[in-house]
Amino acid sequence: MTDVMKVDDLQAITEQVWQSFLDPEGSDPLLLSLLEPSGGDVAAAISVTGAWRGHVVIGCSTAASRHAASALLGVPSDEVTEDDISDALGELANVIGGNVKALLPEPCALSLPYVVATAGVRWPAVHEICRLDGMWRDEPIHITVLESTSDYQGAAAS
Amino acid sequence: MKILIADDSRVMRQIVTRTLRQAGFDGHDLVEAADGQEAYDAAVAEKPDFILSDWNMPEMTGVEVLRALRAGGVQIPFGFVTSEATQEMRDAAAAAGALFLITKPFTAETFREILDPILG
Repeated sequence: MTDVMKVDDLQAITEQVWQSFLDPEGSDPLLLSLLEPSGGDVAAAISVTGAWRGHVVIGCSTAASRHAASALLGVPSDEVTEDDISDALGELANVIGGNVKALLPEPCALSLPYVVATAGVRWPAVHEICRLDGMWRDEPIHITVLESTSDYQGAAAS
Repeated sequence: MKILIADDSRVMRQIVTRTLRQAGFDGHDLVEAADGQEAYDAAVAEKPDFILSDWNMPEMTGVEVLRALRAGGVQIPFGFVTSEATQEMRDAAAAAGALFLITKPFTAETFREILDPILG
């Protein structure tokens, strides 16, 4: 089902999120790269269940997660807390995931977002159908759409 | 005017607050709720003039809050700010009595267009 989501769609959604929330002045755009950046220290994800099953994941460096919380809350980077960072990344996953879901077959349901502060997170039984890599304020960001390859019908499916 | 902002994300409540200001809606008394139950309780206790609510929240979803308020005879104007907006959700929101559904990400311009008839 690689047709459900194209990288252009993911790019359009991501650019909209950056323009609205993370870079409204247009001074710090997300610079997309063909090279996969290293440094996925933190990840936030939201799961989709139903007619399509999988995850939308945003991963980034610790510094990028701090920049994101700072930009979203409108406070200096050195004032954001760990809770702020989790909340900010979770909300980014929620907004991107909600817009991705609009392109997926219906009916689908979104989970609440969850955040993992661990390098090298692995998602079991999935394959990647779409990926964006980039640099934001000199820090790596990557956004992936992972489709579940298992037959398990999640409890949250409806 | 007293406005209740309901969203389980503090970051998003902050963004909604900032966007209201950027859209020119300054000087309103803002009250916040961090989940659906808090939103319902605050709507009853604080009697806001207007409610801006997320859809997916712990305890009660936004549309459950709206339905519960209407079932209890509370007719406060109510609009959604949500990251997803299927036709089914738009239909459910309208049937429950919501005035509008704004999708995230949004801009100050969107807020201005949609909220001006209510807050302007």
